[in-house]
Amino acid sequence: MPTLRFHINGAAQQYDVDAEMPVLWLLRDYAGLTGTKYGCGIAQCGACTIHLDGRAVRSCTLSCGAAAEKQITTIEGLAPDGSHPVQQAWIREDVPQCGYCQAGQIMSAAALLNSNPSPSDQEIHTAMAGNICRCGTYVRIRRAIRTAIDYKLNPKPLNQ
Amino acid sequence: MNRRHFIRIVPLTGGGLMLGLSGIAKAFAAADETTATDSATAIGDFLSVQTNGDVIFHFTRHEMGQGVSTAMAMLIAEELCADFERVKVSFPPADLVKYNDANGGHGTGGSSTVITMTPILRKAGATAREMLIQAAAAQWNTTPDNCYAEHHFIINRISGQRTGFGELAEQAARLKVPASVTLKSRSNFSIIGKAQTAKTLPLLVTGQHRYGADVNLPGMKYALVARAPVFKAKIRSYDAAKTLAVKGVRKVVSTRVVAGIQGPLLPYDIREGIAVVADNFWAAHKGRENLAVVWDEGVHSNASIEDFAAFVKHRGEQRLDPSGYTGDENAIANIDHVKQTLRAGYVFPYMLHSLMEPLNCTAHHKGDSCELWIGNQWPEYIAEEITRVFGIPKDKVKIHLFPSGGGYGRRAYPDAAIEAVCISKEAGNIPVKVMWTREDDHQTNAVHCYQRLDYQAGWDEHNQLYAWYEKECRTYMWDRQYPATELTSNGYNIPNIRYDLEDLTNESILQSTAWRSVMINGWALSECFVDEVAIALKKDPYDFRISLLKEGREANVGHAEKISNSRMIRVLQLAREKSGWGQALPAGQGRGIAIYPYGNSYCAIVALVTVADKKVTFNHVTCAVDCGMVVNPSGAKNQIEGGVVWGLSALLYGGVQVKNGRVTTSNFHQNKVVRINECPDIDVHFVETNDEQPWGLGEVSNPVAVPAVLNAIYAACGKRIRTLPVNLNEA
Ligand code: FES
Ligand code: FES
Repeated sequence: MPTLRFHINGAAQQYDVDAEMPVLWLLRDYAGLTGTKYGCGIAQCGACTIHLDGRAVRSCTLSCGAAAEKQITTIEGLAPDGSHPVQQAWIREDVPQCGYCQAGQIMSAAALLNSNPSPSDQEIHTAMAGNICRCGTYVRIRRAIRTAIDYKLNPKPLNQ
Repeated sequence: MNRRHFIRIVPLTGGGLMLGLSGIAKAFAAADETTATDSATAIGDFLSVQTNGDVIFHFTRHEMGQGVSTAMAMLIAEELCADFERVKVSFPPADLVKYNDANGGHGTGGSSTVITMTPILRKAGATAREMLIQAAAAQWNTTPDNCYAEHHFIINRISGQRTGFGELAEQAARLKVPASVTLKSRSNFSIIGKAQTAKTLPLLVTGQHRYGADVNLPGMKYALVARAPVFKAKIRSYDAAKTLAVKGVRKVVSTRVVAGIQGPLLPYDIREGIAVVADNFWAAHKGRENLAVVWDEGVHSNASIEDFAAFVKHRGEQRLDPSGYTGDENAIANIDHVKQTLRAGYVFPYMLHSLMEPLNCTAHHKGDSCELWIGNQWPEYIAEEITRVFGIPKDKVKIHLFPSGGGYGRRAYPDAAIEAVCISKEAGNIPVKVMWTREDDHQTNAVHCYQRLDYQAGWDEHNQLYAWYEKECRTYMWDRQYPATELTSNGYNIPNIRYDLEDLTNESILQSTAWRSVMINGWALSECFVDEVAIALKKDPYDFRISLLKEGREANVGHAEKISNSRMIRVLQLAREKSGWGQALPAGQGRGIAIYPYGNSYCAIVALVTVADKKVTFNHVTCAVDCGMVVNPSGAKNQIEGGVVWGLSALLYGGVQVKNGRVTTSNFHQNKVVRINECPDIDVHFVETNDEQPWGLGEVSNPVAVPAVLNAIYAACGKRIRTLPVNLNEA
């Protein structure tokens, strides 16, 4: 197996892994970063969403070979203290139920707001339609993205 | 027994379920372990108070997204008079001695947690508060009645002295537990009834919230199982040579010894399979792909969902002896009274759970003991079954409990745990994490029971409903020990009601299991037939329902709780008022209404839909709910919203396709669920009550969303849909 070099949450790391193995399993089984979740393995649910060079990608269908040398950000690296506007908005709107899909939801929403600071409702739906929430928290996800946009424009603590 | 005494009462269904089940939680010891630090002092079974004043609540039920870790923390913090910000939640391992029936057990299901735990936790919180007060009073040389608790402090009302909980904890823990305590009155609540954000949030948004699937132990291996593709099939032979050649694959073992075990309480099934044990998930996955298994496909090898549906339809047309009735059991045929009849058959088919976190369990069989790491709704049952199957005494079974990525009833069963213990044992007593892929989850899993409801209604010359007959065919009985005799007709005031139930468990082509709200999903389809009768009688569906209800009437339909007509009227009125019921709509749009109780909670829903080009769009959903006291308004709304979305997924994409005994669809590209772009706005309104008892919320809205939407589709386009998923091309 080849030795591949990765940049995960800002740190350079090397692993001897099958270059075909999806990054999802590199993160979970090798790097100990279990915040990124498995939900389908075929890019249908979004639970495994990470940022690759700042763009939202599904790590379950991204091979280690393709991700090597690129910048990987996981939910653990988004803002470890939870201060990212999207994380703050998720807390304020009390979005999650079981929470299993939410790392992926947050990573998708954060990438959307990075590339498009004031998306329309339609753009929010398009960006978030790849993320399933079986618990059905969509109404709150929509609201939280709006809240995150407000927070970015006017960053102050989101007190209750 | 004289059948004339009609309606026997069965202590099951809805809110009654898990109360009964926790009865098997007998003595079972597991070493205690909490996340509390050394500086914490235990006060009672549920609380530790750290010297810095942080209060740690030891959560005992299963958190699967229904928000009970937060709701339970609120209940105890309220009586403790704690600062809720300083209350933390820990997830200790199962301890069936400490958390026995008197402490509510661990078993979580039937929307029972807040029902059972409210009196227990309020008393526990009040007891701890009294002990802190006594400790402070002793310190100040005064009597406890001169002191009170407020916002994490004990205050001397004479001298004005204040001491924090942290400084008093050690002293308080040495005191005798007071025999009786006074609970706060609802008017003094400052935590309960105020929206609180979930205690799990800080860990969740940073990816630190740990689920069973995230467990990592030293020396742990990963396993995937190639399970029989047909229900009840067996392994004929297998060749693992190519599998064992995959780098990282360690062992290939069979689960034959636990396959086909029948659960004595809640029925479950373990499919026979071959487990590939490897160093990591990817190696196990590749190894399994290279496995060659020949199956002996057994009795279901030719089964198809179409044949099964036709068989059940045929059964549905046959009458049996009634399981229950009120009035005259043969009223529908009484031509002296019945002027006209209407009949229709409805199907709530097999449904997948699609738990976002697929089933998994990490197990370490160690010979004469074993240890498990799992998110599960009923660890008591796991312990019972491990003793029964492997002969390991219960005090040698340690179960570490994790929150899960969705339960919906599926995690109430011990099958995943027993299979994992078997694999650990067969692989040589090593720790193994057994994972289910989404394909495993969708193709070789237990599903919602298949329910068919055949209704018939008869009315007299004054257009008064005189007789209601319904025949249910179902592939799952709640509990093997009891036959179900519930009348499913929603407590309406109809003089003659008859219910026949036929148990098709043994004919089922898939293993049936609990699926959020269980058989209420099928029963609530009676709300479509009520609509059909209203339309036939040219009555407004809302007015017609109100005309079938009588203020003050309590209908005993055999559920654990009687159905209160007054509460039904109130939720119907609230739904009507908030939804704009009756206001004119553009062509192609329609509103539908439905109501059904779950346990002692009531939900009425008005759905607004558009039908265009044979496609349904959900425009808006209005929910009115009476669940007694609302503990956490934010969490409560979340449950109702989520339940609606759950119902919408069943409506648009539900059902399970079976051909040649196999489930033919494998993953979310085929088994779709509602996504954000399809999700309507959802309003949730609670009936204001003075109750101090909350009733369950997790399963009350999804069964109602389905008939509300089906009735709305009829209103929009005149097509009556009687099975799921909605298909306007065939209707
Ligand atoms: S696990 Fe990657 S999209 Fe579902
Ligand atoms: S919160 Fe449970 S799947 Fe989204």
